[in-house]
Amino acid sequence: MSATASRPSADPAVLRARRSEDVVIGDEIVRHRLATRVIHWAVALFFFLALFSGLPIWTPIFGWMAHLLGGLNVCRWLHPWAGLLFFAAMAVMFVHWLGEMRLEKNEREWLRPRKMVEYMRYQGEDPEVGKYNGGQKLFFFAAGLGALGLLLSGVVMWFPLEFPRILRELAILIHDVTFILFVVAVVFHIYLGTAAEPGTFHSMIRGTVRKPWARLHHPRWYREVVGGESRRP
Amino acid sequence: MASHNLEIRRSSASLWGEKTGMRHLPVVSKFIDTTTCIGCKACEVACQEWNDLGPVPTQQTGTYQTMPELDPEFWNLIRFNEQEFDGGLVWLMRKDQCMHCEDPGCLAACPAPGAIVQYENGIVDVNPDACIGCGFCATGCPFNVPKFHAKTGKMAKCTLCVDRVETGLEPACIKACPTGCLQFGTKDDMVALGHTRVEQLKANGFAHAVLYDPQGVGGTGVVTVLGHGDHPEWYGLPGDPHVPLGVRFWKSVLRPLGVVAIFGAVLGAIGHFMYQGPKEPRETGGEPTGGEPPRAPRA
Repeated sequence: MSATASRPSADPAVLRARRSEDVVIGDEIVRHRLATRVIHWAVALFFFLALFSGLPIWTPIFGWMAHLLGGLNVCRWLHPWAGLLFFAAMAVMFVHWLGEMRLEKNEREWLRPRKMVEYMRYQGEDPEVGKYNGGQKLFFFAAGLGALGLLLSGVVMWFPLEFPRILRELAILIHDVTFILFVVAVVFHIYLGTAAEPGTFHSMIRGTVRKPWARLHHPRWYREVVGGESRRP
Repeated sequence: MASHNLEIRRSSASLWGEKTGMRHLPVVSKFIDTTTCIGCKACEVACQEWNDLGPVPTQQTGTYQTMPELDPEFWNLIRFNEQEFDGGLVWLMRKDQCMHCEDPGCLAACPAPGAIVQYENGIVDVNPDACIGCGFCATGCPFNVPKFHAKTGKMAKCTLCVDRVETGLEPACIKACPTGCLQFGTKDDMVALGHTRVEQLKANGFAHAVLYDPQGVGGTGVVTVLGHGDHPEWYGLPGDPHVPLGVRFWKSVLRPLGVVAIFGAVLGAIGHFMYQGPKEPRETGGEPTGGEPPRAPRA
């Protein structure tokens, strides 16, 4: 190997993205530092573990998933533990991101379905979108609330004979409604993060986005980051 | 105690069902006459013996009752109740066990395919091979019968001695009863016997005598003559049992809606991508901080 460089493959953007966020490196901007990405993927891992062990218990349509994990008995054992880990990872992510996810006044309109439809039709461009848009912030809080609902109802379903009947019935209904909404939201979360908005997935793997991406999706954040760069010595 | 000789009429978490309709069997039922039960507990002993269940410690609660509730290793329990009535006291005894509902709430709530089955002759049975011990059946049961067996991690309850019945024998508890207050036969015969007995009781001062065969669960595979039929709760029985509304709503409304919603979301995302396409930066050229090479237009 060449002796000219001790680390010939080191990519400055990747190295910088380990610790720093919201910095410009060449034509890239670091959007998620390593810790953020690890926390996000821990949540995703435990979510899918809980999903694949829970769906076959939910309906035999997904019974084949149980075979992937070693049978329905394994699922019954695994699901609550995966759920606990999911909640733990979600709690860490909640604290980690809470500061950046505070809803601004004009982002309240994301609570209306019309705004979401507009967004999906690529209408109503807002030059004041910061690092996260209103939809992302709402998803963040909805996911946190959903995880809490799944945990509380899940504990009752884990030890069904320790709780009064009415609570058990209620827990089943809460767990079901919450998880259905959660899965629908996650389907769109994944779709928006991959196919619908190219470049987004990059930010959760490599940690960086390209400048045009930032300008399009998060214009105020782009101005702040790029402006900050120009002020640096 | 799954039987391999009886055709299965209904099976838990089954989308299609196993019924072939080839082999026909009459629905069977136990008959319990609480007015002639003497509380001897021979049925309790016979149940333990036939089902190879070990001795379970008794619990003294101030009555003759062996223990307060059914137990995963004790499927047949005489409930004793001293009830004030008409200025005096009546001593009521009822044999408690799985009621083998025509419309079993346990089976409706069970998520494990084949873990709870209803045979052609109406017997409702837990199949330990398939049971995952989640306890949902206990939530579905309006009679609080299925119990979790911690040692095996499975649910356990009365099998109506399906292993005896399928070979033409009567259940062990019936066989052991010394007074004839327990009988076994086809549901039709047991209901007829019950009505005869109720008429006798009515003619003898029990104006409110009834045959307890609750229609909220489609009738039960255990019909019970109650001398004080206006007070089933005196015998530890619910007045109008039915499969819990939450379980019904969960299985027949929420679950199909959820499946549609999840697949709908996936199809919706695909449809959106086909109709709307991706949201990508368009090269406008006027930006001062860009510097990236222009993106090739999409085909």
